[in-house]
Amino acid sequence: MAMAFKMATTGMWVTDECKNSFHEMKWRKVHRYIVFKIDEKSRLVTVDKVGGPGEGYDDLAASLPDDDCRYAVFDFDFVTVDNCRKSKIFFIAWAPTASRIRAKMLYATSKDGLRRVLEGIHYELQATDPTEMGFDLIRDRAK
Amino acid sequence: MYGGDEVSAIVIDLGSHTCKAGYAGEDAPKAVFPSVVGSIDQMDVDDMTSNEKNAAVDSKNNVKDSEKGKGKRKLFVGSQALGFRRDHMEVLSSFKDGIVADWDIVDSIWDHAFRECLLIDPKEHPMLLAEPSSNSQQQRERTAELMFEKYNTPALFLAKNAVLTSFASGRATSLVVDSGGGSTTIAPVHDGYVIQKAVAFSPIGGELLTDCLMKSLESKGVMIKPRYSFKRKEIQPGVFQTVDLDFTNTTESYRLYSQRVIASDIKECVCRAPDTPYDESSYSNIPMTPYELPDGQTIEIGADRFKIPDILFNPSLVQTILGMDNFVEIAPSVRGLPQMVIESINKCDVDIRRELFSSILLAGGTASMQQLKERLEKDLLEESPQAARVKVLASGNATERRFSVWIGGSILASLGSFQQMWFSKSEYEEHGASYVQRKCP
Repeated sequence: MAMAFKMATTGMWVTDECKNSFHEMKWRKVHRYIVFKIDEKSRLVTVDKVGGPGEGYDDLAASLPDDDCRYAVFDFDFVTVDNCRKSKIFFIAWAPTASRIRAKMLYATSKDGLRRVLEGIHYELQATDPTEMGFDLIRDRAK
Repeated sequence: MYGGDEVSAIVIDLGSHTCKAGYAGEDAPKAVFPSVVGSIDQMDVDDMTSNEKNAAVDSKNNVKDSEKGKGKRKLFVGSQALGFRRDHMEVLSSFKDGIVADWDIVDSIWDHAFRECLLIDPKEHPMLLAEPSSNSQQQRERTAELMFEKYNTPALFLAKNAVLTSFASGRATSLVVDSGGGSTTIAPVHDGYVIQKAVAFSPIGGELLTDCLMKSLESKGVMIKPRYSFKRKEIQPGVFQTVDLDFTNTTESYRLYSQRVIASDIKECVCRAPDTPYDESSYSNIPMTPYELPDGQTIEIGADRFKIPDILFNPSLVQTILGMDNFVEIAPSVRGLPQMVIESINKCDVDIRRELFSSILLAGGTASMQQLKERLEKDLLEESPQAARVKVLASGNATERRFSVWIGGSILASLGSFQQMWFSKSEYEEHGASYVQRKCP
């Protein structure tokens, strides 16, 4: 069993709030994005922020802190060349350069636990600065 | 399961050049000392007249008797013990081609770290050891045996260098370029796993660069005098006199070790990776940089400042340096950094190649060379597939870059969610050493 996998699944608990918000986003389309955070003391993964359906990708980018790590999911709606409406869900692991190494370690080793609970994610990104999660990248991947 | 949350764990990263040891949770290792040891065969010592004088010194420094093969030998560990010249003392390394070959030396290094540097009792602390990504099962079992049987450590964990570096930068997936003293290893990490079949290895590391610099200086008539070979004193204020000393019983390996200490400092002070591949003609007019040797002589270093680091990118440059003959045999099979990176990525699954290209992490002392990150990124941009977004990441902080593996281990061992991962002594007693493969994948 991979180290990160075991640490994530048995060392951290993903709260029901995370699962429920994700379901609401996926099925009822009431959120555009969700930001998750880890509370190290209680070993819980909780919801930090949700974005309404009217918000965009820039709002998500703006709600990620410069000096701490987060996880985020983003629901990307777009229209393909043959006029099909589509939706893809992105998972973003945010670990900015200025965050503490402890936070980076914690988020990197705990990612699998959350990832396993969230079913139906199409793409995954890792980012240390805003250019690595630019909107152009999202568009590229969804094509 | 070992529930060791209360006692701080000890973290050791034994590299081919330096050993880093300290307490988990701290942001830098407490002790950093050479991974080579001095060794004197006991037969020789007994014949010597200065035996008594030596014994007095030995009680202060760290000395270990070790039995190996035919005779007994005395090992001297740590910067201090090595800094003192002794008759017939050879300098030995425990590493060969990036993995441990002499366990006696490793044992003496661990012992030195625990008892002389950290002043702890290994019985009381769980140990997290960083290991080379390509460590064999046999090596890992040997480590577990030594730790549990000899040191009676309550719990152990072996973590791969590349995985620690990757996690410490917040990534579960990345390509780790670890350039250290004795070698360079490129290891792709995916979801916290090293992809073994794609690991690339090269014998080019900081020590080879140091040797090249030394030989290149020698060919220009600069001889580096080891610190022990002269006395320097101030005869009048501001005026120094250097007196050469003669020690005929000094071994060749000790002389080389002492010269390397100086040459490697020159390298760290003046060398930087050139922005474009090195060529003799365009660098012939480069301004000279002065460097003052310990004996007071000032030397000027010109093109070598750029030529030496470029060996990492173009190993065939070694052939142009006089006196590096022993390397020439292996040189054709060794590739430069960018080629190694691309080859390693191409051995991975197509689905993750894009991600690897965009998270290349630098680790190790040699990778901390000035401008190396920029140059690697530039070379890779030219040689990688067009769709790839190349990104080379390295911590801006020199300490963090040099010790990224140790720091990764330090933080990992202090996380609450990690505590259930330890391979405990009772598990070792129940399942044996081979269980390390299950506990520390």
